[in-house]
Amino acid sequence: MEVSSLPLSPSQRGKLIAAGYTTLSSLSSVSAPDLARDLNISEHEAIEILKVSSQSSAQTAWDMLYEEEFMTRITTSCADLDNILGGGISCKEVTEIGGVPGIGKTQLGIQLAVNVQIPIDYGGLGGKAVYIDTEGSFMVERVFQVAEACIEDMPYNYPQKDFQARKNKMQPENFLANIFYFRVCSYTEQIALINYLDKFVAENKDVKSVIVDSVTFHFRQDFDDLALRTRLLSGIALKLMKLAKKFSLAVVLLNQVTTKFNEGSYQLTLALGDSWSHACTNRIILYWNGNERYAYIDKSPSLQSASAAYSVTGKGIRDAASHCKRVRIM
Amino acid sequence: MAPLKSLQREFPIIDCNFQQFCASHGIYSVEDFLVHDLYSLVASAEQQSSSEELREGISQVISIIGSQHQPWSNGVELLGDAQKNKHVLPTGCEGIDMLLQGGLRVGHVTELVGPSPSGKTQVCLQAASNVAVKFMGVVMFLDTCNSFSPRRMACFINQHFNTPVEEVTQKGLKRVMSSILCQSVFDIFSLLDVLRQLELKLQFQVNTGDCKLRLLIIDSISSLITPILGGNGAHGHSLMIFTGFLLKKLAHEYNISVLVTNHMVCGEGGILKPALGESWKSIPHVRLLLSHDRRSNSYNISILKHPVMVSGRAASFTVYG
Repeated sequence: MEVSSLPLSPSQRGKLIAAGYTTLSSLSSVSAPDLARDLNISEHEAIEILKVSSQSSAQTAWDMLYEEEFMTRITTSCADLDNILGGGISCKEVTEIGGVPGIGKTQLGIQLAVNVQIPIDYGGLGGKAVYIDTEGSFMVERVFQVAEACIEDMPYNYPQKDFQARKNKMQPENFLANIFYFRVCSYTEQIALINYLDKFVAENKDVKSVIVDSVTFHFRQDFDDLALRTRLLSGIALKLMKLAKKFSLAVVLLNQVTTKFNEGSYQLTLALGDSWSHACTNRIILYWNGNERYAYIDKSPSLQSASAAYSVTGKGIRDAASHCKRVRIM
Repeated sequence: MAPLKSLQREFPIIDCNFQQFCASHGIYSVEDFLVHDLYSLVASAEQQSSSEELREGISQVISIIGSQHQPWSNGVELLGDAQKNKHVLPTGCEGIDMLLQGGLRVGHVTELVGPSPSGKTQVCLQAASNVAVKFMGVVMFLDTCNSFSPRRMACFINQHFNTPVEEVTQKGLKRVMSSILCQSVFDIFSLLDVLRQLELKLQFQVNTGDCKLRLLIIDSISSLITPILGGNGAHGHSLMIFTGFLLKKLAHEYNISVLVTNHMVCGEGGILKPALGESWKSIPHVRLLLSHDRRSNSYNISILKHPVMVSGRAASFTVYG
């Protein structure tokens, strides 16, 4: 029953099988009017059914290698972190970043939303960002601060002669205008938004990154049916992967941690369970080491497992200073 | 089963006369033909005026039905086929090859199960590079999590040419990399689409004697099946089984080796078990469990299921670079 593998409605499938069309070769040799007559449906519907089998194409690894040379990465503004990431967050991949509360996930998200807009002349992508906020932790004043600091630091990182002339065009307000912000308040909104992103990014071609902060929040509380949660999450993961690949975006998912009872001891692991673990291409775990913040590459198909220190300053994410103290709220 | 009149174009013996005769016995489609008593049909055909043509028509329909199913084969033919066609493809990781007595067997569906991250993608990339270099075969990599990294693949391929990296010619690398095809699939329907087209292409190639595909890798098949499994309808379940059968058929008929990866979920008592449930367990021929020991940076692999070897045998290996 090969027609059962086509994405058709159950009634259409039933009609096809009842009329004798069970294999795809039988569908390939029939014309639309004949099919419409046999199934007793409109010709338009028959054309739709026949259109379901379509062509697709594969790429060779050599072409992909060639393309990869030209793909720029989004810098994180911290040189050590960029080094272990091979230059920064890469496009066409889904990167998951998780850590304990207060480690700087939202700060990293904001820094990436600003850094994706660095013009191409300065080594950036010159693109816009989509920021999906589920927790309400996006502070516009902080983004302004980070954008200001980014513009200030640009001539030091990439010296260009006519920077002053361009500086007028690069104001923090422009950076803010290029971040598309969505606030979602329930998991259905989150799923709907991710479905809508396909159309949105197709219309706004210069969107180069999608940041979800955090992808876990609406799936943790009050979810009775865990099997449904697994299905929904895997569906979301696939859609985001497709989005990243189709439009060459960098998708960054921020995740929370939970405890897991493993071999007699409690361990901190990323939330959403084992089935979510394959939903990302790369995984970075942020953790405290003494008083310093570290990032560790947990999973990556092409990067080595390594860790690097970074710090969160008034300017955003920067290299770790030699002495940096964890801020304690007294 | 198609209605009888649709056969008229290809087989003119099944003309209006024949169809009328069949209709008089209540036979409108090939399915009706099958369930009808053929002896009585032939007997009544003898009594008709154009009995010769009718009997020819009946035997024609019977031969069409006969060509629809797989031909019977006996043990000797199977053994001959196994010795001639079903070779073993080494993966390039010594530990795995020793454990599997040579490597991935052609005609088998091999499944790699492991928690994340345990090196499943690395093993797939390594096997792909090994097959592409040593066997000059085409490797098809179906990627669901954007984890196919061309740079890493080039790194593996360069390991095989035992010369320093600078001396490896671009031409050699290009030749090998051009035989590795990668395609992204993000839902089960597009996977089935790709597999069907692959089957049509392989059928065509068998006729021209140009069959070169050796290894088909799907990384990871569980991320395609998990969104549709469970819930109210059983359609997701049937799609999973259908995909499994299609993979096994492709592996056996066209002499390719299929490698799929699966992830793990939490079972009872907190023990990890492979995802996709009980029904999927019977689909792969060989199931291997991978785990990664971070401290010693080595990978452990053990056999969960194998048609010939005892399960529980384990080995360890390291991945280059």
